[in-house]
Amino acid sequence: MPNNRERNEQEPGTSGARGSSNSSSTSRPRQQTQERIPRPPGSSKISSKMLQTSAKRIQKELAEITLDPPPNCSASPKADNIYEWVSTIKGPRGSVYEGGVFFLDIQFSPEYPFKPPRVTFKTRIYHCNINSQGTICLDILKDNWSPALTIGKVLLSICSLLSDCNPEDPLVGSIATQYLQDKEMHDATAKQWTHRFAR
Amino acid sequence: MTDSARLSQLHVVIQSAKLKETGTSLFGGKGDPYVEMTIDGQPPRRTEVQKKTWTPTWNEHFTVLVKPDAKLEFKPQGLLETLPSTTMHGCIFNSINDMVHKLLCKKDLKFGTKNGYQRGGELSLEFNGLSVSEEVLAALRAKHQNGPTTQTQANGSAGRAVAVENRSDEGHPSAAPVAGVAPVSAPGGNTTTNSTDAPPVPRPRRRPPPPPQETTAVTVSNSARPTATARNPPGVSQTAAGPMPPPPGVASTTTAATGAVASTTPASGGSQPPLPPLPQQPPPSAAAGGPPGAAATALGRARGVNLDLNNQPLPGNWEMRLDPQGRPYYVDHSTQTTTWERPQPLPVGWERRKDPQGRIYYVDHNTRTTTWQRPTVDSMRNYQEWQNQHAQLQQDAMQQLQQRLYLPGTTQPTTETVPDDPLGALPLGWEQRTDQHNRKYFVNHISKTTQWEDLEPRAVQENPLPDGWEIRYTKEGRRYFVDHNTKVTTFEDPRDKASKGPKGAFGVPVAYERSFRYKLGQFRYLCQSAVLQGHVKINVTRATLFEDSFHQIMRLQSPELRKRLYIIFRGEEGLDYGGVAREWFFMLSHEVLNPMYCLFEYANKNNYSLQINPASSINPDHLHYFRFVGRFLAMALYHGKFIYSGFTMPFYKRMLNKQLTLKDLESIDPEYYSSLVWVKDNDIDEIDLGMTFSADFEILGKVETVELKDDGANIIVSEENKEEYINLMTQWRFNRGIDEQTKALLEGFNEVVPLVWLQYFDERELELMLCGMQEFDVDDWYNSTVYRHYTRDSKQIQWFWRAVKEMDNEKRARLLQFVTGTCRLPVGGFSELMGSNGPQKFCIEKVGKETWLPRSHTCFNRLDLPPYKSYDQLLEKLNFAIEETEGFGQE
Repeated sequence: MPNNRERNEQEPGTSGARGSSNSSSTSRPRQQTQERIPRPPGSSKISSKMLQTSAKRIQKELAEITLDPPPNCSASPKADNIYEWVSTIKGPRGSVYEGGVFFLDIQFSPEYPFKPPRVTFKTRIYHCNINSQGTICLDILKDNWSPALTIGKVLLSICSLLSDCNPEDPLVGSIATQYLQDKEMHDATAKQWTHRFAR
Repeated sequence: MTDSARLSQLHVVIQSAKLKETGTSLFGGKGDPYVEMTIDGQPPRRTEVQKKTWTPTWNEHFTVLVKPDAKLEFKPQGLLETLPSTTMHGCIFNSINDMVHKLLCKKDLKFGTKNGYQRGGELSLEFNGLSVSEEVLAALRAKHQNGPTTQTQANGSAGRAVAVENRSDEGHPSAAPVAGVAPVSAPGGNTTTNSTDAPPVPRPRRRPPPPPQETTAVTVSNSARPTATARNPPGVSQTAAGPMPPPPGVASTTTAATGAVASTTPASGGSQPPLPPLPQQPPPSAAAGGPPGAAATALGRARGVNLDLNNQPLPGNWEMRLDPQGRPYYVDHSTQTTTWERPQPLPVGWERRKDPQGRIYYVDHNTRTTTWQRPTVDSMRNYQEWQNQHAQLQQDAMQQLQQRLYLPGTTQPTTETVPDDPLGALPLGWEQRTDQHNRKYFVNHISKTTQWEDLEPRAVQENPLPDGWEIRYTKEGRRYFVDHNTKVTTFEDPRDKASKGPKGAFGVPVAYERSFRYKLGQFRYLCQSAVLQGHVKINVTRATLFEDSFHQIMRLQSPELRKRLYIIFRGEEGLDYGGVAREWFFMLSHEVLNPMYCLFEYANKNNYSLQINPASSINPDHLHYFRFVGRFLAMALYHGKFIYSGFTMPFYKRMLNKQLTLKDLESIDPEYYSSLVWVKDNDIDEIDLGMTFSADFEILGKVETVELKDDGANIIVSEENKEEYINLMTQWRFNRGIDEQTKALLEGFNEVVPLVWLQYFDERELELMLCGMQEFDVDDWYNSTVYRHYTRDSKQIQWFWRAVKEMDNEKRARLLQFVTGTCRLPVGGFSELMGSNGPQKFCIEKVGKETWLPRSHTCFNRLDLPPYKSYDQLLEKLNFAIEETEGFGQE
C-alpha cells in the first residue's frame, strides 16, 4: 500500500502543528494508534500474534513523542503504516526561520533502530546543511547514529540545526559561503524563503 | 563425420582492388566500392564502403569457417549504381584446395557483357592460416584433382602468423590439449609454419615431403621442463603389431602444408600419439626394410619432387634411398628408422634423445623444451618470429585486462636467493646447481639424475630423527622413513609433528603455508593433478552470453569443466589459445554479476563489491543460477582466469567456511555495524531500547520477523545477554535471506573445485586469485592520500611511503586491501576511492601509541597509524597488521 501522499494531505495529527495548540496534535495520534494496527509497508498480514521487533520499537517512540513532544515539533504516522511518518517543525524563535512551519518525511526501515530513519524536508528551506531535495546533512542521521537515539531526539537535533547551521560542513556550498561572507544577504534570503514556502 | 567437423578455419584478408575506370558517361563517376564475400550461399560478409574511388583499400580481416569444397565468392559492390549486381562477378574459387597457400592473390574482376567477359579490374586478397582437420584431409585426399596453381608472392605474409592453432578437437594429428598446463602457457609451444615455398596443394599424406629446407618442421615445445618430459616422454606406441606411426616427415609435412600449428606436449603426447595411426600409413620401421610410404603406391599419381634442392651432405649414418615411385627417403642406420625429411645437423643447443620406448625426441637446451619434431633452422626462425609476435599479442591482451597480474612467474620468478627460500632447504641427497647460463637446476645424487624444477613440498632442514628412525629413498629418489621400533615405513616425516606443529592439507607444516605464492603453487598442483584429458567446448554468442554459457555449463558433468576449455564466440571463430577463454571469463562475470539480474547486489550504495541479493528469488530459477555461478567461479580459479568484479570480504570468508565476525560487518553495512558496536560498548540496561532476540528484515516489500533463538521475541536483551545477542545478530545479518543461495553457489563450486583446496587461503588471497592484481601507481597513491593529525612531512608518513615504495606489488595490494577492504581500484585510480559516504580518499590518521598495531576502517579507507619511533618499527608493525587477517589487526 503505497503512501505517496502530498504534504497537503497530511494526517489530522500533524495539521494541528500548524501553529495551533499542542494539545490537539498530541491527543489525536494516540487515538490513531489505538484504533489502528500498524502494518509494515506493502504487507497486509504476517503473523498477527507477533508484532515486528522494529514496529514495536517505533510504536513505543510514537507513544513517547505523542505524550511528550519536543518543543516546536510534532510527528505521527502518515496513514496506517507505522514505518512512514510525517513531522512538522516550527522555525525556532529568533532564527531566520521563525514563523515558518516545515514539513518533514520520516521513513523507518525494518532494521530500525539499527539503521537510522531517513528524514527529509518536504518544505523548501534556505539552509547550508539542507539541499533542494530536502536531504539533511546531520551526523546522527549517518555515521553517528546509535540505537539509543529516538525520533524525538532527531527532531530536536534538526531544530538546533535550524538555529545554528554548520557552514564548516556544508551540503550546499554556495549558501555556506554566503553565510560566512554576507550573512545579511543570507538571512534576508532565508527569511524570504521561509515567508514564501513555509507559511 | 559431422558437417561441423569438416569445417576448417581460414583467414581471409580483403586487401584492395584496382578498378578499371569505366569511363562511360552514362555510368560515369567513381563508385563507393565494397566487397561482399559469400561462402556457400551463406549470408554475405561485407567490408566497409570506400567512398568515391577506383582504388579502394580495405585490408579487412575475416575469419571464416569453410568446408573443403566451399565456394567463396567475392563480389565488388556499390560500384555503379545502375549496374545489375550480378553482372560484376568477382572470383570464384572452386575449392579451397587451391588457396591453402595462396597467401596473396590477385583476381581479375570481369564484367559480364554480351560479348563474354571483359576485364574490369583487379582484386587483391589474402588467405592465411587455414587449419584443416584430419577428417577434412581425409576427404580431400579422396577427391583431390587440381594440380598446383601458380604461386603468387608471399612475402610479408610469412611472418603474419595470425593466431593460428590447431583445431585440437578435431583429432588433428598433433593436436593435444595441454593437460594440466595453464592455458596461458600452452600457446607458447606452438609454431605457425608459414612455409612460403611449400607446395600449394595440401596433400601431405600422399605426397613425398618437400625437401627439408622448404618444409618448415613444426617446433613443438611446451612450458614443462625437460625432466618432466624425460619421465613422461613424448611418444607413440611403437609396437610391431600395432599400427605404425607415420614417418616424422609426414607429420611435419602435414602441419607445414596446412599451415597449421602443432601443439603437443609430452604429457599428453604420451597418451595421444602425434599422429593417429591410419591403416594405409606406411610403416616407417627400418627393420621391415620398407621405405616410408611404400604402401602409398595405392595413390596412383606420384608428384614431382625436386631432388636436387638440397646439396648438403647427409650426416653420418644416414642414407638416401628412393622408393618404388622414385621418391627419396632417408634411412638413419643408427636408429634404424626412415623419414621423408632430409636430415640436417641439429641447431646449436639441441640434443637428440630417446625415450624409454625407444622413440626419438629432441631437447632444446636453450629454451628447456622438448619436441617430437626434428628442429631445422627454418623452424627455429619461424618459431622465434612467432614467439615474438605472440608475446606482443599476449601483452596487448594482458593490458586489456587492466594489467591484472597473476602472482607466480609473471612478475617475479620464484628463484629467489637461497637463504630466503621460503620452502626451506633441500632434502638430503639433493643439490642445487647453476649451469653456465646461470639457470638453477637440481641434482639428485641418489638417483643420479638432474632436473630443472624445484622439489615440490620441500622439507625443512633436518632436525635429528627420533630414536630408531632412519631415512631411506625409493628408486625414484623419494624420501621415506623407516621406524625400526615398530618396523613400519612411512613417507611422513616423523619430525614434522613434533617440531613444526600440525601439518596442513598439503603435507607441509602450517608455518610454511604462510606464503601466498607457495599456497598458490600448491593449489595449482592440486588442479593439475585433477586435470582430465581432452577439452570441453563452450559455444556462445555474445548477445546471449549469459544464457548460452548457463545452459552449456549446467548441462555438462561437473568434472568435465576441469578439462581444457575451448571457448567459441559464434561468428568470430578465433582459436582459443587461452585468450578467448580469458575474455569469456571476463565478459561472463560482467554479465552474471551484474546487479541487474538480481542475483547479486552491491554491498551498499558506495561499495561496489558484490554480495548475494536476498531478493534473488524474484527469479524462480535463482538457485540453479547460483549453482552455475559457483561452477563458474570454480572454473575461473581452476583455469587461472580472472573475473570482472569482486565480492565482499564476507562473501569470500563464507567460501572459505570462516566464521564471520562483527568486524566483517563494517565493510558491508557500516550503520548496522556501528549500532551493534554501540550496543556492545554501552550499558544498555540504563536505556530501554526495547530489543528482544528477534529481528526484522524486508524482502521485496515484505517484512519478516525472525527469532534469533527459541522464543526470542519474548526475551529482552540486557547487559547480561547482549554478547550472545550481538553474535546472533551478526550471524543473522550476514545470512538473512541468502542461505539457500549461498548453499547452491557453494555446491556448484565444490563440484568443480573441492572447497577444501581453498582452506589455507584467506579471504584476501581468494580475492587476489579471483580478481587478479592490478599494478599500483605509487605516485597516484601518494598524491591522492590525505592525512589527519599527520602532515605529508611527518616522519611516520615519510616512512610509510618509503615502506610502500619498497613493497612488491602483492604487498601493496594487501595493504590496500587492509585499508579499503578490496585490492581493486576504481577506474580513475586512487583519487576515485569511495567510502561508505561517498568519495573518500585514502587517509592516514595518527592514532594511539607506538606499541599499537596499525588499524584500518575499511568503510572510510582510513589507516590508523600510531606514531612509531623508527622506520623499522613501522615496517614491522605494518607488515604484521596486513599479514594478520583475523580480527586484531583491525579491531
